[in-house]
Amino acid sequence: MDAYIPWYYTAVGLAIVTLGFSYVLGKALGVSGSWARLVTRNNDREVRLAEASFVGNPQLFEDALMAATIREFGEKEVNDFLASRQKKQPTKQSSKPEDTIKKMPSRVPWSAHFTFLIFLALGGVAGSMIRGTFSLQFDLGEFHTQMFGGSYVSMLVLLIGGLMVGFGTQLGGGCTSGHGLSGVSRLTPASLIATGCFFGAAIIFSFAFKLFVAGGI
Amino acid sequence: MESIKKEHIYYAIFGLAMGCILSMGGLSDFEQINGLFLFENLPLLFVFALSIGLNMIGFFLFFKNKKLSQKSYIKGTIPGSALFGVGWAITGACPSIALVQLGEGKLAALVTIFGIYFGVWLFRRFVIANPSFDNGICGEE
Repeated sequence: MDAYIPWYYTAVGLAIVTLGFSYVLGKALGVSGSWARLVTRNNDREVRLAEASFVGNPQLFEDALMAATIREFGEKEVNDFLASRQKKQPTKQSSKPEDTIKKMPSRVPWSAHFTFLIFLALGGVAGSMIRGTFSLQFDLGEFHTQMFGGSYVSMLVLLIGGLMVGFGTQLGGGCTSGHGLSGVSRLTPASLIATGCFFGAAIIFSFAFKLFVAGGI
Repeated sequence: MESIKKEHIYYAIFGLAMGCILSMGGLSDFEQINGLFLFENLPLLFVFALSIGLNMIGFFLFFKNKKLSQKSYIKGTIPGSALFGVGWAITGACPSIALVQLGEGKLAALVTIFGIYFGVWLFRRFVIANPSFDNGICGEE
């Protein structure tokens, strides 16, 4: 087997990608989020249409927020609150609706996320070309075939495994990049728990498989 | 179809770099990943440790005044992550690796990719019936 680049190169490279991505785009790197945006791409149009009327008419946005607040808490509560606030700070102006709209999170079009996924694959092409290992093959390598058998069995295994990865990352709210690289390094509690869980589950499964199914390869 | 924006170019650059690094570092190699989970491949463990350590320093130094969204704990954090962990151990693929594997010419990864897409689709259906499991990813990221 050809040697891979030294581990510290990989680590530095991944850190540069994570930090650079966050710095340039102002949001944390997360590949499972890109998958979600690809799958829900049809929602993009609806969201854009819904937002369009607000962008054209900022006052409408303020009114919609107020309507939702009244729906949630009741008219009396809201009126009482506004009256009490008026008494405390009579001079302070509330923020302009235009500013509120500017604060709304900007939405990257789904096609940018799709571009990201395509270029991840192209990165695989480039990486294997540079290493000189690019070759078309129908399996995931000898070792995977050895573990899970060939042809139909391994295809079924990959399909079920893929389903678990897809469903699991969405249910858990992130994957190796989002929870693992960007979350753990900022000590986000949810990411620490999630990373512990997916590494733990992968370790337990791998050991159990080796022990009970493969009989110790 | 929307026009090409600045974001497309940034996403393309970071995608290409990330895919290339993952491929050259061996993270898309099932045997390597399996070795990581069996503690037989310690260098790969060091990859995670060092890159998280560098990120920690980087986020501390350069992101003091920047607000990055933090993931919050949700109902599905533990069961979802456990499910993903087993899937990762079976396929050797996390959501980015399956694509990198395909790029390297491993056509079997197409099955994993189909599985991931279908898994995400199933989750969206699941959330419609069980809104309390929504992960909020759909909103801003």
